[in-house]
Amino acid sequence: MPAKPPKVLIVDDEPQIRVLLRATLARAGYVVAEASNAREALNAKAIDKPDLILLDLGLPDRDGLELVASLRGDPPSALIVVSARDQTEQKVAALDLGADDYVTKPFDTEELLARVRASLRQRLASESERQVVAAGPITIDLFARMVRREGREVHVTPKEWGLLAELAKHPGRVLTHETLLRTIWGPAHVDQTEYLRVAIRALRQKLEHEPSQPRLIVNEPGVGYRLIAT
Amino acid sequence: MTEAQLRASTASRIQAYAGAVIMVAVSTLIDLWIAPKWGTAAIDMVYLPAVLAAAALWGIGPGFVAGIAAALAYNFFFTEPVHTFRMNRVADVVTVVVLLIVALVTSKLASAIREQARLAAAHAARNATIAGFAGRLLSSSSESDIAETACNELQRLFDCNAMVVSGLPEPAILALAPPGNRLTPSDIAAAALTLESGEPAGRGTSRIQPAEWVFHAVRSSDAILAAAGLARDDGRAPIDDNQLALLTNLLDQLALALERARAEADRREVGSLRERDRLRSALLSSVGHDLRTPLTGIIGAAAELRRRGANDAPLVAAIEGEAAKLERYISNLLDMARIESGAVKLKMECVDLVDAVSAALKDMRSALSSREVLIDLARDLPLVRTDAQLLHHCLINLIDNADRHTGETGGIRIAAVEVEGEIRLTIEDEGPGLPVERERALDVFTRLEGSDRKGGAGLGLAIVKGFAEAIGAKVTGGNRKGSQGASFSLRFPKALVVPERVNAG
Repeated sequence: MPAKPPKVLIVDDEPQIRVLLRATLARAGYVVAEASNAREALNAKAIDKPDLILLDLGLPDRDGLELVASLRGDPPSALIVVSARDQTEQKVAALDLGADDYVTKPFDTEELLARVRASLRQRLASESERQVVAAGPITIDLFARMVRREGREVHVTPKEWGLLAELAKHPGRVLTHETLLRTIWGPAHVDQTEYLRVAIRALRQKLEHEPSQPRLIVNEPGVGYRLIAT
Repeated sequence: MTEAQLRASTASRIQAYAGAVIMVAVSTLIDLWIAPKWGTAAIDMVYLPAVLAAAALWGIGPGFVAGIAAALAYNFFFTEPVHTFRMNRVADVVTVVVLLIVALVTSKLASAIREQARLAAAHAARNATIAGFAGRLLSSSSESDIAETACNELQRLFDCNAMVVSGLPEPAILALAPPGNRLTPSDIAAAALTLESGEPAGRGTSRIQPAEWVFHAVRSSDAILAAAGLARDDGRAPIDDNQLALLTNLLDQLALALERARAEADRREVGSLRERDRLRSALLSSVGHDLRTPLTGIIGAAAELRRRGANDAPLVAAIEGEAAKLERYISNLLDMARIESGAVKLKMECVDLVDAVSAALKDMRSALSSREVLIDLARDLPLVRTDAQLLHHCLINLIDNADRHTGETGGIRIAAVEVEGEIRLTIEDEGPGLPVERERALDVFTRLEGSDRKGGAGLGLAIVKGFAEAIGAKVTGGNRKGSQGASFSLRFPKALVVPERVNAG
């Protein structure tokens, strides 16, 4: 934990959920603020300048999706959607609007904390910390454009490297299929999920201990992939 | 023709012949007056107007009578020897013959013209009838109103009983004029035959003659929409052959009107379905939200208690376990409601089964806790085209099913292989297996009663079936070969298997 504990704003209209989130976050050492509707959320964003916002989509006064853009920017905050809406379209929509991650209710508090850490990590990491990302036995050196497994360099194709690097730039965060395809294969190929599947499979063959039970590059069904960084 | 009409027409025939004779008589009187003064040179010409007029006005019969009468009168009064019917001069013979020819030709011409005029008038009348019929149909909007109007019009135009029927295999009467007529089984059979084949059937046709009614198809360009039935109380043929064309035209108009009404009804139906759909999904998402929010509180609070090392660890574990189960039931209920309302929207994409299986196992990890799970996915398994979210729910339910039916110590095996172009993803448990009769009937996918042992989770397999069908996969269940336990397979047909390795660069 850095010297100054990060500030987290909880936006949820259910008092019980706020109690639960506050207890969980406080235990992990975060400073917590709360808002129960969109208006309070926008006020708190301006006054408290939180490092991270946990946003429920079902707010009484506005749809949470409309708030994603304004809560995220200026000054920048990390933002995780915490919602009972479990349809993939909702998740993808929130991520496309700029949310860093998406957690569905009911959630596992440990997993929520892991997502919070991952989303804050980039914001708070130093330049050198951002350059080298570790995931289990794998080290990804974004500066040297190199990936090592247990110290030995692993050869990857340019597209595989592009994919791995994109995931490593956002360790622990889910990146949508569309984002990955657009960044690595270009906007003409955003629907070609088969490219992505094949490249991911190739990476797993090279990096995972057991490629059919992946631990490093994991998938969110219908949404995207995330690199589990350590 | 009625008797009165018949009488009237006989009277007018008699008048016509009398007229012809009178005109010839008048011409003869004029001639008798002219002849002594100016001679007999132009006498024959005076008969011409009479013959022409008779032929033109009354047709061939009276015209011919006028011609013969004129010839006889001319012969009798004006040719040598006078006051006999004998003729000495060739010129007089020619005159008589010419008068007859004039009568013949004129009457032919005149009757052709009259016939044409009659046809034109009949045509105009028919068009007016059709237009009037179409116009009256246009003012009705519902199918039954249109049928009602059509019946009344047919009854009026053909002076017979009329009905409109539709529906197979049991034709139902849409409208009937006059009301109260009953159908015999033969009539129903005839109506069904017409609705099915599009050919006329019933009385007076070659099909189902015992029927009292004769049915004609009401057809649009691509379908038979209804059948129109006609009948007379006295059993005579309701229409004669030359009215058939008119009837066909009228039924075409009826088809157009019915088609319009059905399109309109379809539009309204779609609109109301869409509205119902919207309400249903709003309700579903609100139920989902309202139930999941308190569950989140319970699950989170229990986890927090566990972490703080509560004294009653087994109780806390029970809360967590039961709450997780409740969560799965809620998802299943929502999924089932989506399947039953037909609200499943597909988002087909290429999926690696490795991803699908690992994601499902991750979501099930707390339920599985320490259970041994053997994963055996072929290394070069092709990708499949599917909806990732639906597949995820299928797998969770299959894994949950396997977990619940396997004892404390048993394991689960998840395997995928390609067999003859089809991909089979199989989940096997070490439970008691399926009863033989159930295995055969494959009714494990319907909700099981009583013996679906552990409560309300019976929905699980029904959801697997529903979602698998939605994505075009097949699901089969049976017992393991060689060892005890049940085995369920998701089978992706060749069409869903992504053929070759893609070159992703």
